[in-house]
Amino acid sequence: MKTKRKTLMFTSILFMAAIWAFIFIEKGTNLFKGYDLIIFILIVVLGVIALLSAVKKDKDEKEGIPIEDELSDQIKYKAGYYAFFISMYMWLFIFLFKEKFPDLETLLGGGILVSAAIFYFSKLVVKNQFNAK
Amino acid sequence: MQNRIKELRARDNLTQLDVAKLVDVRRETIVFLEKGKYNPSLRLAYDISKIFKLKIEEVFIFESNT
Repeated sequence: MKTKRKTLMFTSILFMAAIWAFIFIEKGTNLFKGYDLIIFILIVVLGVIALLSAVKKDKDEKEGIPIEDELSDQIKYKAGYYAFFISMYMWLFIFLFKEKFPDLETLLGGGILVSAAIFYFSKLVVKNQFNAK
Repeated sequence: MQNRIKELRARDNLTQLDVAKLVDVRRETIVFLEKGKYNPSLRLAYDISKIFKLKIEEVFIFESNT
């Protein structure tokens, strides 16, 4: 299980590095302009969050602490519920202002990235405000 | 619902991490439980009570609103 996780982490980092190398070669300095810059920042932020959480999970596993339990499941479900509704409104706004986006790829890619960011944010909010009734 | 986890943990010289490992949950869950921010499942409540060799109702105090 530990080896599987480490292999998965290593493959993810390699995959992300390969994608970025390809984008840099394709776009060059144009990458740091307009929507591309926002998407670049979002990918980096989400990648760093994913990496940090993977490292923490790996550390916990080494110490014999379970990675998930009933509370983390509840937080995940609640955050997922909020993220779903917020994302629906976000997609509505994206389609209302679709002419502001340069192309369909930016619109869809950006929307998917923002949806992921909304889920992480919802998870943080739910975690901090979790209160049993 | 209130609980006596913190008090019983001190009695038995156990850390939050020790309790977490014994009942197979994350330390964060024990922190939330002690703060009264999370109501455990019946299974978790039973497991925690078993650690302290007490009945569930001796560890978790249910306060009815009615």
